[in-house]
Amino acid sequence: MNKNSRSQFLKSFQKPLILLAVMLVMVILQPQIFPTLNNMLSILYAVSIYGTMICGMIYAVLLGGIDLSVGPVAALSGAVTVLTIIAMGKTGASVIVGVFLGLLAGSAVGLVNGLIISYFNVPAFLITLSTQSIISGVAQLTTGNHTIAAMEPASFTYIGSGRLLGVPVPIYIMGIMMLLTYIILNKTVFGQRVYAVGGNRQAAQLSGVAVKRVSTMCYVLSSLMAALSGIVLASMNQQAIAKAATGYENDVLTAIVVGGTSLAGGEGSIQGALFGALLVGVLNNGMRLMGVPSTYHTLVKGIIIICAVAMDVYAKNKNSGLQRTRLTGWMKRAGKGKAS
Amino acid sequence: MNGQVLLRAENIHKSFSGVQVLKGVNLEIRAGEVHALMGENGAGKSTLIKIIMGVYPKDSGDIWVQGEKVEINSRQDAQRLGLAVIYQELSLIPTLTVMQNILLGQETQKAGLLDRRAMMRRVQELMDRFDLHLDPNEVVENLSIAQQQTVEILKSLTVDAPLIIMDEPTASLSASESERLFDIIDRLRSRGVGILYITHRLEEVRLLADRLTVLRDGENVAVVEKKDYDPQKIIRMMIGKEITTAADRVEMKRPSGPVGLSVRNLCRKGVFRDISFDAHHGEILGIGGLVGSGRTEVLRAIFGADRYDSGEITFDGKKIASTVSGNILKGFGLIPEDRRAQGFIPLQSIRKNVALTNYDLLSGALGLIRSGQESAMCDRAIRDLDIRPNLPSMPVINLSGGNQQKVVVGKWMARDLKVLLVDEPTAGIDVGVKEAIYQILESLAASGVIVIVVSSDLQELLRVSTRILVMREGRIFKEFCEGMITQEDILTAASGIDSSMEVSDE
Repeated sequence: MNKNSRSQFLKSFQKPLILLAVMLVMVILQPQIFPTLNNMLSILYAVSIYGTMICGMIYAVLLGGIDLSVGPVAALSGAVTVLTIIAMGKTGASVIVGVFLGLLAGSAVGLVNGLIISYFNVPAFLITLSTQSIISGVAQLTTGNHTIAAMEPASFTYIGSGRLLGVPVPIYIMGIMMLLTYIILNKTVFGQRVYAVGGNRQAAQLSGVAVKRVSTMCYVLSSLMAALSGIVLASMNQQAIAKAATGYENDVLTAIVVGGTSLAGGEGSIQGALFGALLVGVLNNGMRLMGVPSTYHTLVKGIIIICAVAMDVYAKNKNSGLQRTRLTGWMKRAGKGKAS
Repeated sequence: MNGQVLLRAENIHKSFSGVQVLKGVNLEIRAGEVHALMGENGAGKSTLIKIIMGVYPKDSGDIWVQGEKVEINSRQDAQRLGLAVIYQELSLIPTLTVMQNILLGQETQKAGLLDRRAMMRRVQELMDRFDLHLDPNEVVENLSIAQQQTVEILKSLTVDAPLIIMDEPTASLSASESERLFDIIDRLRSRGVGILYITHRLEEVRLLADRLTVLRDGENVAVVEKKDYDPQKIIRMMIGKEITTAADRVEMKRPSGPVGLSVRNLCRKGVFRDISFDAHHGEILGIGGLVGSGRTEVLRAIFGADRYDSGEITFDGKKIASTVSGNILKGFGLIPEDRRAQGFIPLQSIRKNVALTNYDLLSGALGLIRSGQESAMCDRAIRDLDIRPNLPSMPVINLSGGNQQKVVVGKWMARDLKVLLVDEPTAGIDVGVKEAIYQILESLAASGVIVIVVSSDLQELLRVSTRILVMREGRIFKEFCEGMITQEDILTAASGIDSSMEVSDE
């Protein structure tokens, strides 16, 4: 029992420790540049877009599903927002309406994903792979395949490029979304139901959980967060293009999986995913500082994913040792039962 | 060839961690006979089969196959000796064809490539020889369950002098499919195949078996020849009490409380029909019957987990909800049959599992959980049900089976429960915890809750129930509501042997 709780303790601190170790190596290698406040902020800034996406995708992964459509959804939402702002004459009010319509467009995609996946029982991988392609096409149609500049009004560019107390606004947005996701997953009934459905669908259903509704909601949230990050990205780049967030789903999934969330569902946390995102961010930053050609970045990231997943599987196999001790415990009891 | 002894097992002993499961069992199967193996749950049937098939090592005893003493240490050994089992769950590969499945592992090759024509010829010969015809190129998942069984049978016939062990083969078949299987068994018998037929269904034994071995508590009770077959006598042999003593008789009572749950003419096509009964406040109503008689399905339909085609269910005069969540709000609870797959969320803590059904009571503003109440609820469940270890944060997967079941019970106990539906409450649970769970059910009933218990364990059914319904083939076959009854009475009714028909419906 004691040993169990100790290993549990170690497990929960494993990720921060790995992150700290990597950061320590960077401090030793680049003592002049790496440990500066500016560099720390630039790491967070680089992580902020897909860090916000993580806050949505994690619901799908916790269900045992996946959402591959987040990249195009982000692009589409950015485009909808920018086009609305332009159409409404770039006023302050147009920013509010634009952001609202952008979020709405993204959520609508999530609703379609969620309804098809939950009510027709189609694998999430298939459906979101299709919507990835479809929404990418819709985004191209929406932008007419042009780059649409969005350098005003200031209230729009502030979202992605502004600073508050010296810290870039996207970092606040990621931080707030992470906190909200933490609260939803850990402190609300909905969060518990997500874990329950991901952990054992049948048991959840027999316990009165509206499994289909919960699962639909997860995909809506996934797209909603993707839409938000797409709007921040458009503001950051001061432009909307159809290929804006292409390939982001890879980084998002990497962070979530490295962060210890099981692709089988039912297990994982937003804190873990945050560490996963920061780890990838620190590595990217470190490689850049050391002048590693960008060609190697993806290579190194791939190796890291394999290492993280291998560690996860190893830990799980060790955990299944628990089942063996349960079995031996049962045998012992059976033996005792005979003796008495 | 007929009459030759295919397999003889002598004086087989087996114990699991000190508990004797087989105490010197003998079994003999001849070529061209259908030999039935009968016994209650836990009599040692499946252990014996697993020893013959090389799954478990035996502690002592000898096995002869066709007159030769053999050591069977693995599935492969058994297969080489011509022994094959057809389990309740089929072990075919659904995406491969009939031919590929039949010859799996015995494919014919020519120059390193599959020789399809030779394989096809071999399968065709096999089908002709035993007169079992299927399209060899059909993909298995497109076949009916009965046809898939035929493929399994063909697969086991690829050896010489085969012995086929059939473990409850009709459990998932319809009546007409069963008839067809009996036909196939007849054909196999006439061609010299030996068949060991394991079943709970007496009428199948009467229809098929040439001889019959009865096991009880790991010992042979008797080998009965067809001419000496008498169902009542065999039931007595299985239960093992020639003269039932007073202690084994349990008194059934007519319920005294007011009617709470009322089920009328509940039907679901092909699953159950004309289910009508009343359950009264404060009673524990047992439902007995064989596996597959529709008991679980009726419970699930009442709970709202499965649909039904027609009929009406009311509680205290009002129609009940058609959804699980609606019924939970009205005070219904279900403890499902398969604890691991349906009962709990394995990786979640005891606390979260207990809370799962109770968030209507635990949520505050904005759907936030009242964390203090959640822990208090868990602490109460741990204390009241004596869940061990008493650690709210322990994932339920790490608990023993009995404690897992207590957690499943616990999530309903925290509510204002009115009706608790319980399916196989103590399957795979050790004796000490069993009694604890019975006491929980009894105290619930004493407080006015309607408890409906489905169980295949006759002892358990008699232990907890104040009244018992026996289901058979999707219908309520008999009600025991007064007088003393024994396990024998229930088993007799479940097997469909009954002269004094008095189907309940007050």
